[in-house]
Amino acid sequence: MDREDIFDGVTDVRDDLIQGAKEAPAKKKRWAKRRWMGAVAAVLAVAVLGGVLLRPGGGMTALAIAQAEYPEMAPYPDEGKFWPPGGDRDEEGFHAAYDAWREDVVAQRRDLGDVTPLQEFFAKSSWTFLTGKPGENRVYSPLNVYMALSMTAQLTDGESRGQILELLGSETMDALRQQANDLWNANYRDDGALTSVLASSLWLNEDVKFNQNTMDTLAKDFYASSYRGEMGSKALNDALQNWLNEQTGGLLKEQAGNIELDSETIMALATTVYFKAKWRSEFNEERTEKAVFHGPAGDVETDFMHQSDEQNYYWGGKFAAVSQGFEEGGAMWFLLPDEGVSPEELLSDGEAMDFLFTADKEEWEEQKFLIVNKAVPKFDVSSQFDLGEGLRELGVTDVFDPEKSDFSPMTAGGAGGIVLSRADHAARVVIDEEGCTAAAFTVMAYAGAAKPPDEEVDFVLDRPFLFCITGISGLPLFVGVVNSPAGN
Amino acid sequence: MDDLAIVELYHRRSERAIAESDKKYGPLCRSIALRLLGVREDAEECVNDTWHAAWNKMPPDRPRALGAFLGRITRNLSISRWRRDHAQKRYEGMEVLLSELEDCVPAPDSVEEAVGRAQLSAAISAWLDGLTEEDRRLFLRRYWYGDGVKELAEAAGMGANALAQRLLRLRRGLRAFLETEGVF
Repeated sequence: MDREDIFDGVTDVRDDLIQGAKEAPAKKKRWAKRRWMGAVAAVLAVAVLGGVLLRPGGGMTALAIAQAEYPEMAPYPDEGKFWPPGGDRDEEGFHAAYDAWREDVVAQRRDLGDVTPLQEFFAKSSWTFLTGKPGENRVYSPLNVYMALSMTAQLTDGESRGQILELLGSETMDALRQQANDLWNANYRDDGALTSVLASSLWLNEDVKFNQNTMDTLAKDFYASSYRGEMGSKALNDALQNWLNEQTGGLLKEQAGNIELDSETIMALATTVYFKAKWRSEFNEERTEKAVFHGPAGDVETDFMHQSDEQNYYWGGKFAAVSQGFEEGGAMWFLLPDEGVSPEELLSDGEAMDFLFTADKEEWEEQKFLIVNKAVPKFDVSSQFDLGEGLRELGVTDVFDPEKSDFSPMTAGGAGGIVLSRADHAARVVIDEEGCTAAAFTVMAYAGAAKPPDEEVDFVLDRPFLFCITGISGLPLFVGVVNSPAGN
Repeated sequence: MDDLAIVELYHRRSERAIAESDKKYGPLCRSIALRLLGVREDAEECVNDTWHAAWNKMPPDRPRALGAFLGRITRNLSISRWRRDHAQKRYEGMEVLLSELEDCVPAPDSVEEAVGRAQLSAAISAWLDGLTEEDRRLFLRRYWYGDGVKELAEAAGMGANALAQRLLRLRRGLRAFLETEGVF
């Protein structure tokens, strides 16, 4: 027998096999049927500027003064429309719609250049914001805080701006603006199949004479809309909360409800990330079983999802790691500290942080391609905290100090005494197996007669661990510590 | 037009059968031929020959899956063309595909009797049945439809290297299966 015989043999495989491979570009088909997302995550950050105003407000509700325009994206083609059950397939129509979608997706790609300074910021800030609360769940969005800080830099000048530029690793405001714009675009997707939007808005006190140019720059380069109205009024608080809920898919309703601005507020900067994606290969619901998670507060029984697949398995001096990919790119990384090592310790470990924030994991030396038997607890973790203290630790101090802060680009005169009075950061990440379609698509690699690889490994997340969600740009949208899968 | 109606046209010797086949399955056959041969003119000839062959096969054939039936003819015509001309012409797609399929060839064993094409296909079908849906699709997209590794990787949302590695494991898996089953 030779290779031509194999070619002929493949030619004559059964019709249903050939048709099956033709009809189901599996991922396209699945979007049409999907009922649940593999992972959904949201974060909101609200930075509040306070100060002293000369007179109370006069009853205006939120009025838009600069509106961001998001890029238009062709929707992901709905297969049901082109391939109606029982009807003729409109392949041409489908391909035209698919090409239009693809073109828009490609148009969003950006060359991010050297991201080393960014990775340093991600690692440093993750350590700052994720440690210090041992035993609790904690979720932090490095990209979200990056966007909030970039906009704060645009609103400030002098040393207030200089401290932010230094933390974010940018030499000039122009460079930072360009980078923020690239990052925004590289992470933007809203096509009906995947939602990934870094949304921002500014809420200004109607008594502040704002600088329209600055607001226009924020709309154009940072895709942030600006509104003004009466601070402390129910109308404005409602408008802000509605905006937050809308941007975060209602996932942070409880946390958004806590965000209220009082009449002293001069401006609030709200930034959100909403990310909803489906696993590339779902967990089979039938394989989900109760098992014990050894949390810091004691053992708890929780649902563990199981999957066996061939994939890269990574390790370092104190951890092991695997990823679970999303349909449209990006992945969730799970870092399991070695026995006796806490997630906190891992966050202080240079090697682990290098691993977590390196976009190109192919370069990692300690990796092996083998069968990984994953056991991942279903979890729903959230946290809400004030970024203020952490930002000060990271060297951003002047914006908090009425004697030193410089918010002159924001206002058209009279900017003295404006300070950042609060910076709320709330985030939630929920993961689950796929619902009803799971059984058909679960990967049990080589369940048939083919020869398995020589080695396999169990990867059981049954003790506190770290996770990181990288978005379509490969950069971290969310980083978190899970101490209790069911929430604090 | 649905497949049964097209097949019926062949049986009635209506030349419209060819126009309808081209309309419905022309893109599929053209893409297979072009991927295998890489030369547009030759691929086009191959597709025209496909309709001619289909005309000669129906009747008596009454294929249930017309797309697979026609695509299969295109594959057969493509490899025939390669066998005939590859000394003079370079059909790159076919060369690459065949060199990959070399990995699936079981180690020779003189004791066993060589199997026929039908038996081999049945064995490969059985092996495909045992794969996960995703692996089965990847294998067939690559080795039946001739999809490029890059486009396949993009569609599957994975890196080209990861896909190449996966395909390699699948090919070795097929060889191991054929050896275990005594198909030489």
